[in-house]
Amino acid sequence: MNEVNLVETGSMGRVAYARIAPNEDLTQGVEKLCLAQGFRNAFVRGALGSLVDACLSKQDGTCQQIKGPAVEIVSLAGEVRSQDDGSLRASLSGVVADVEGNVYGGPFVAGFNPICMTFEVTLEEWLPAGTQ
Amino acid sequence: MPDTPPRLSPPRTLVHPGPFDPVRIRSMHSRRGRHVRLTLDPGRSLFEALVKPLHEMGIKSASTTVLGGLFSALQYCVAPPDSSGKAVVAYGRPIDAGSAYMIFGNATLGRSAQGAPLVHCHAAIRTQAGLIKGGHILTEQSVVGSAPISVLVTSLDGFELRVTYDPETNIPLLQPHEESGGE
Repeated sequence: MNEVNLVETGSMGRVAYARIAPNEDLTQGVEKLCLAQGFRNAFVRGALGSLVDACLSKQDGTCQQIKGPAVEIVSLAGEVRSQDDGSLRASLSGVVADVEGNVYGGPFVAGFNPICMTFEVTLEEWLPAGTQ
Repeated sequence: MPDTPPRLSPPRTLVHPGPFDPVRIRSMHSRRGRHVRLTLDPGRSLFEALVKPLHEMGIKSASTTVLGGLFSALQYCVAPPDSSGKAVVAYGRPIDAGSAYMIFGNATLGRSAQGAPLVHCHAAIRTQAGLIKGGHILTEQSVVGSAPISVLVTSLDGFELRVTYDPETNIPLLQPHEESGGE
């Protein structure tokens, strides 16, 4: 039987804000922000900025690439989770707008969303019960 | 229309006009999150409706989520390549979305280089014509409609966001700094 924890109780900890520089990857940048701040688990509280081009994954396993620059990050939801092997993984989902303001949405593909000018992100640390 | 290539194009690395900054992530933290639920006052600009109540509470830097709501007027812009060559991209001309519905957005509150309040907002909208669009919202030209709009505010305490010139991109950008204290 698979055991899945459907409910995880905990509390919010610190709040970090970062400016991430051009050509850094969106997903890995958020993971590295957690490394910089010592967060093991976190939720995205707010984010905006721009990408060179955007890459969102689709249900059929392919990706939708949206050409910039710049593709504006309109909104973003997501979290960073500590993995069983101790590594960190960010899962980010969001809405982007192309150079004509047309919008697209989906999960960001790690490694394929280079930041164009800047990315401003606020993370709130999540402290699962028992780890504090 | 965006392409859906059978194989993924590798990410492009753009060359910016200024010197490469070896620090790629500038971050600061607050020891605890302080949250505020705010309602945007009908008839005010988005800028004023966000800045005024937060200023009165002593919040100078914050990350906010604007929940859905109607604006009686809304303008936005996008950022195509900068033909002047000063930067890689630059904001284009304001686009008038008319009386538009903001589906949701994120707005960051900080300060300008001169110390005045500054709001940086990106949002998805439904324009008066019914088109779904997104981009950089011109907060002083966008007016909250007849119903208040809810905003979740995460206050950034113990440091501040201030616009400083970024040599690499050659534009002024919001960055986290130690609190300067003065007004």
